[in-house]
Amino acid sequence: MATALHYEDVSVGQDIPVVVKGPMTTAHIMRWSAAMENWHKIHYDWRYATEHDGLPDVLINGSWKQHVLAQVLVDWVGESGWVWKMDFQYRGMNIPGDTLTAWGRVTGKSERGGYGVVELEIGLKDQNGKEGSPGNAVIVLPLTGGPAVPYPFDPAVLN
Amino acid sequence: MAVDEQVNHITPEVRAVIGAQSEWTEAAHPVEPSEVRRFFQALMDPNPRFWDEAHAKGTRYGGVVAPPGFPVHAFRRPADEMHDALAAAGDPDFDGLSRALRPGLPKLPLPLSGVLNGGYQYEFFSYPKVGERIVCRSTYRDVTQKQGKAGPMVLVLIEDEYATADGRPLLKSLNTMIMR
Repeated sequence: MATALHYEDVSVGQDIPVVVKGPMTTAHIMRWSAAMENWHKIHYDWRYATEHDGLPDVLINGSWKQHVLAQVLVDWVGESGWVWKMDFQYRGMNIPGDTLTAWGRVTGKSERGGYGVVELEIGLKDQNGKEGSPGNAVIVLPLTGGPAVPYPFDPAVLN
Repeated sequence: MAVDEQVNHITPEVRAVIGAQSEWTEAAHPVEPSEVRRFFQALMDPNPRFWDEAHAKGTRYGGVVAPPGFPVHAFRRPADEMHDALAAAGDPDFDGLSRALRPGLPKLPLPLSGVLNGGYQYEFFSYPKVGERIVCRSTYRDVTQKQGKAGPMVLVLIEDEYATADGRPLLKSLNTMIMR
């Protein structure tokens, strides 16, 4: 088990460990679509996607990408912290053949209510470095020697 | 070249739906281990908190949990729903989905048919455990218009609150749907 992450371990400008997925194939897309029961043809019918909807190919599901963004944060904070907030925009399409890297960079930190609050920039870059899902996140970490972050998480503890 | 008149889609009828809220709706079935398994396997996320009961019992969650965003996808077709959405598959415009906008909310009186997902803001409170029932309530938070390259776009902001049936908050989501 990895050592628990504490607020003092984190510095502004720090890159968190990335999560890499891919190269993605049509089978990966179909597996997610089936798990979601999402029968939208843009994810598995090449002809529909390209000829009817004018897309470059079938598309990797946005819902899959959002969970990869959550994973990079959850993996980093481990069991001691809490992924409190995340936001992201769908700016770019991703298609079979893409390898996606979920990344995060610490942009700010502050103590609130005896806990550490850490802000990050996050995103999901393709193999060419193109950012398709830019966003932000806020996580809550315990201070060294401080109380554990409560679970279920209640934002009122930060007041 | 025709004069490109700016159409204002934000009519009083559209404005009237802002604040409209659905009832709390319960997912058709509780969180199932195999549903969670398909979810994390398709994510390629091997975290043992999703599947290893012995490991999960030792965490503060007290048992196996679903991934944080799972509640957003917990609303599946109930077993007794005999209407098959795929029956419309012969229609060239059939997209396999009929739930882009939330059930339980009034339809937006807009002459626009294209719907794009613009993104999400999430706030997490706890994770659902296997066997728990998930409920959701949706609210139209705002409807605004922006001028895009290809004409006006209407941004629909929908808040979804997810909780367990016994009232433990799971997550709050703010979704921007782009209509044009």
